[in-house]
Amino acid sequence: MRRNKYGIILPFLAPALILYSLFVIYPYSQAMYVAFTKWKGLRKSPRFVGLDNFEKMLGDDKFWNALSNNLIYLFVLPIVTLGFALFMAFMISQKVRFNNFYRVTYFFPQVMSVVAIGILWSFVYHPTIGIFSSLLKAVGIKNPPVWLGDPDTALWSIVAVTVWQSAGFFMVIFMAGMLSIPKSLYEAAALDGAGRGATFFRITFPLLWENTRSSLVFITVIAMDMFGITFTMTQGGPDRSTDVLATLLYEHAFLHSRFGYATSIAMVYFIIVIVLTLLIFRVTRRETIEF
Amino acid sequence: MKKSEISRRRFIEYTGAAGMGIGLSSVLPQISLAKTGIKVASGAANPLGLASNTQAEGVFFSGGFGHAYIEYAAEIFGEVHPGSSMSVEGIQRVGERLRPRIIAGNPPDVIDNSGAGNLDTGALVGEGELMDLGPLMSATALDTPGKTFGETLFPGSQNSGLFDGVQRYVNIAFTVFGVWHSKSLFDEKGWNYPTTWDGMLSLCDTIKTSGIAPWTYQGKYPQYMLFGLLEPIVSKIGGPQIWKDVDNLVPSAWEHPAMLQALNMMKALHDNGYIMEGTPGLTHTESQAEWLQNKAAFIPCGTWLENEMRSITPGGFNMVIKPVPSDDASRLSWIDASSGEPFMVFSNGKNPVAGMEFLRCLLSKESAKWFAQNVGSIMPVVGGAEGVDLSSAMTSALAAVDNAGPNILDRPSFPGWYSDIYSEVKDSMGALLTGRASAEEFIERVQGASDDVREDEDIVKFKRT
Repeated sequence: MRRNKYGIILPFLAPALILYSLFVIYPYSQAMYVAFTKWKGLRKSPRFVGLDNFEKMLGDDKFWNALSNNLIYLFVLPIVTLGFALFMAFMISQKVRFNNFYRVTYFFPQVMSVVAIGILWSFVYHPTIGIFSSLLKAVGIKNPPVWLGDPDTALWSIVAVTVWQSAGFFMVIFMAGMLSIPKSLYEAAALDGAGRGATFFRITFPLLWENTRSSLVFITVIAMDMFGITFTMTQGGPDRSTDVLATLLYEHAFLHSRFGYATSIAMVYFIIVIVLTLLIFRVTRRETIEF
Repeated sequence: MKKSEISRRRFIEYTGAAGMGIGLSSVLPQISLAKTGIKVASGAANPLGLASNTQAEGVFFSGGFGHAYIEYAAEIFGEVHPGSSMSVEGIQRVGERLRPRIIAGNPPDVIDNSGAGNLDTGALVGEGELMDLGPLMSATALDTPGKTFGETLFPGSQNSGLFDGVQRYVNIAFTVFGVWHSKSLFDEKGWNYPTTWDGMLSLCDTIKTSGIAPWTYQGKYPQYMLFGLLEPIVSKIGGPQIWKDVDNLVPSAWEHPAMLQALNMMKALHDNGYIMEGTPGLTHTESQAEWLQNKAAFIPCGTWLENEMRSITPGGFNMVIKPVPSDDASRLSWIDASSGEPFMVFSNGKNPVAGMEFLRCLLSKESAKWFAQNVGSIMPVVGGAEGVDLSSAMTSALAAVDNAGPNILDRPSFPGWYSDIYSEVKDSMGALLTGRASAEEFIERVQGASDDVREDEDIVKFKRT
């Protein structure tokens, strides 16, 4: 009986497993080998150098600079994006007027391509024709910040774009969670005289825990990546103030022909994401509340 | 200074800009082909020995120049070699598109490795991917009788393609680098182009009072200030050896006093508030667009500027290029000019001979004239601009080269050889021009990058004299 069961399952799984091994596992394992080599990305084969690349990374200021920018995103983005998403989800689910309109509008950036968003926002931040600078000039501020041209503001300008782009997605996740919370709980709370705030913090938020956990993992992956938006808006500049691991490894591979070193950075990046994901699941583990 | 072989009178003769022909050509018999009208010199049809019926493949960067001129050269190729052909594909981001094919050992026969995201030339040469173009350089020229291919090119124009004495690529566009302004604006305001840097600063003061920002540069790409200002100023103050030392990774090469002086001169533009507000947040085309609207008076660039901004240049703007002034008025005319847009042939392509033969067609006089006429730039081909009407920008560039006489400045090779140093120059230049780094800090950072390259045994080193 048992043998029979596998006899049926295997043929169904096989195509997916074969494709996955061929197009995901095989290239990944090959890339892992490249991380221990020196390779210019041309015809000559990679040369094995052991841990040299990782050793070099430890003393590479540009690596630490990029990593610390990723860490800033990692601390800021979850708090701001998820907080904002939660707030919007809560407000919209209060049966406000035009509720569908808001839902579509806030979700809209999520369906746009990153490149389009990068270009669009480059215009928003444009120092002479951009809407921000024009508004600031209109209210009498003579020299508004050069958003993407100033190392002090560039990173935060990108944070704002990322929040704008991703908050809608998390809002939808939270709204789905809110819809599944039984009405009776809210009615009971209302009878007990709970206000909006108490209702949110005592009922809604705790019951959204599962959604929050998965959202945290998603936003962590976003914060560790940031390639698309950075590459289209600043390419890591000015003066490396928005450089992240993904743009740094791109530069090493495609500008400086150091594919081995670039791949070793990619590996470190991969490990960080895995560890963070496991950590988030471990730390946030709670008993699921059945309702 | 490098005594460039292009002398004052000979330059006019070279480009044919003054309408002079080259006397020799009528002496020898020529075969005139119908379609393109190219006159193939006798015995010049197939010096490289291209096999008949060769179908070759070319992939080319298509940027500011487009790639219609390459298609025209392919037409010449097909006409000179009936039965053979060169396919022409225009692409962007050459590196990303071609790398998989190079790794697979299946590269195209000939490429134009230009534009953003191109292949790292130093690595290509170091790994032996590129053909030695020696046979091409010494082959008979296609339509200049009695000369070899190499002899028909502007003297010195192919130096950047020499790696340890071997020609690895050929440059097909002759570019003059300098400082641009609108002649109409300057005439209207009664401003005169300064002869010294002090004169520049006091003119900037006048310009600023009139409500126009004196300077802008290509903001997010501050490297334009390297070839626009730093390179020529350093050469004018300190002589040609400095950039050679920089290229040869001589310890402390960047710490030369002329470097410090030049950087401080440039920094004065920021310190006096002469750089247009918002410049660091602009891309190259955005800043050039601001300049075209007279929001800023000066911008550094090469001669591709005109073609790049053609569609949005206001009528009567009259852009002209001038050499950058330095501490010494007598050296004002010295100018940076060099050839760019490198075309390469792969050593393990299917038809390297076809690749070289194609370059012989591309840099023929006939093709160069078509380029001058239709693209508005010039190829480094002797007589290549004969009888062609040139724009105000191109005319001013040729006049600048003419005025420079033998003082065409030698440009450094490190940007192509050592991408790490170039990256650091770019970052530090942005910091210098926004007041975030002093000239000393600039030097310290770039010298550090240079030292790192020298000590990194994985980076292939080149030498020049």
